[in-house]
Amino acid sequence: MAEHTVASFDEDLRQISRLINDMGDLAGSMVGASTKALLESDNALAQRVVSDDAIMDARQRELDDRAITLIAKRQPMADDLRNVVGSIRMAGDLERIGDLAKNIAKRVGSVGVSAAPRDLTHSIDSMAQMVLIQVQGVIQEYTVGDATALAKLRNDDERIDVKYTSVFRELLTYMMEDPRNITACTHLLFCAKNLERIGDHVTNIAENAYYVLTGTQLPANRPKQDETAMSAPAA
Amino acid sequence: MKPMLSTDLNAPDATVEKAKIEVKNLNFYYGQSKALKDINLSLPERSVTAFIGPSGCGKSTLLRVLNRIYELYPKQSAEGQVLLDGKNILDRSQDLNLLRTKIGMVFQKPTPFPMSIYENIAFGVRLYEKISKAEMDNRVESALKRAALWSEVKDKLNASGQSLSGGQQQRLCIARTVAVKPEVILLDEPASALDPLSTAKIEELIDELQADYTIVIVTHNMQQAARVSRQTAFMYLGELVEFDRTEKIFTSPREKRTQDYITGRFG
Repeated sequence: MAEHTVASFDEDLRQISRLINDMGDLAGSMVGASTKALLESDNALAQRVVSDDAIMDARQRELDDRAITLIAKRQPMADDLRNVVGSIRMAGDLERIGDLAKNIAKRVGSVGVSAAPRDLTHSIDSMAQMVLIQVQGVIQEYTVGDATALAKLRNDDERIDVKYTSVFRELLTYMMEDPRNITACTHLLFCAKNLERIGDHVTNIAENAYYVLTGTQLPANRPKQDETAMSAPAA
Repeated sequence: MKPMLSTDLNAPDATVEKAKIEVKNLNFYYGQSKALKDINLSLPERSVTAFIGPSGCGKSTLLRVLNRIYELYPKQSAEGQVLLDGKNILDRSQDLNLLRTKIGMVFQKPTPFPMSIYENIAFGVRLYEKISKAEMDNRVESALKRAALWSEVKDKLNASGQSLSGGQQQRLCIARTVAVKPEVILLDEPASALDPLSTAKIEELIDELQADYTIVIVTHNMQQAARVSRQTAFMYLGELVEFDRTEKIFTSPREKRTQDYITGRFG
């Protein structure tokens, strides 16, 4: 893309892109660290995720300030306008991903003291890996400007929904087998739900990024495969 | 009441609406130099169309073809067709005075006549119509009201038009245009010499006038084009590069040249 006649306009846009990249990196690291802390009962790592969330919030506030100032000063148009508005929205989703990772981290203590959590967490582990790939992928594809990959990535969320359904059923079985598992499994269920929600935020980011890059919206109807909604109250 | 616009960016182009003016295969020459190259464009009735583009792109030239005002100058010629309600106004048999009552024009610099506010409006009306004093009073009042100027000048209709502020003078010019009951109003950068408050008043006025008139505005201010128009034409080097609904042009234009221009990446 050619540079703007006003060079400081390019610099303002670069600062916003840098913040989206930073927030994306931080979101990936928080999701990875929170699930690692959960699986390994690592309280210190969980604490780090909690404090990282404050950094995430600060980045989002900085991005909002910069975006609002840019709109006021430059009145961006076309792809610039889509970029700035899209960045505000993507930052909102990244900030929510940070919150959900923090929520997982805060449950580490509760799950850790319960009976045999390690045996119960194998499927959460594989679900977390799927989510982490999505979180890292979405910012990477946006940065390189690959709209086709973003459309595919958005559809890949379906696999996370399917996985969540299976984790839900598995944890339900553990609870029925032995009521002493109920506390740990309930926390793990919330963790699984958080991971599933993170997947939804990645989907939002992919949709926004696609619009920023192409100027057209992806079709509204994406396949939804979370079947637990019929059998469980919303977490 | 302003017509509602669809927000669906895949909706059919505005060009399928009833056209007030259709420009077909239009070429324009300043002497030997070709200033407009094969322009084809359809302007929908009772809506605002904006022409944007860098200086020298031909947008003002195109505007000046629409009421043949270019004929006031030597060595300027147009070929092709400009259909007003299906009738070619470039035809030699076209009565120019009649054409210019149907298609009024307001210029960048306010151009009040050196006479009273009242006479500024009555003067043009008298050229075309014989009406009584009472009818003329009504006509002047309604034109000034239409141009959102009445409340500011009703107590000084005999004061000179040139004693008004720049923004008021421009609205007086719009009132003068409206008074002869045109069907189309051409605005050539009508707010570029005005302060933000006067600009806002002109824009509000354009918004109201489009219920009754087909309006074409040339502007260098892209935010203004985005605010006031329903469809926008981007011109460059005498060519019509892109013509589409205004939301489409300013959010996701098809052409790279349009995108580069409106985002400030040109040249």
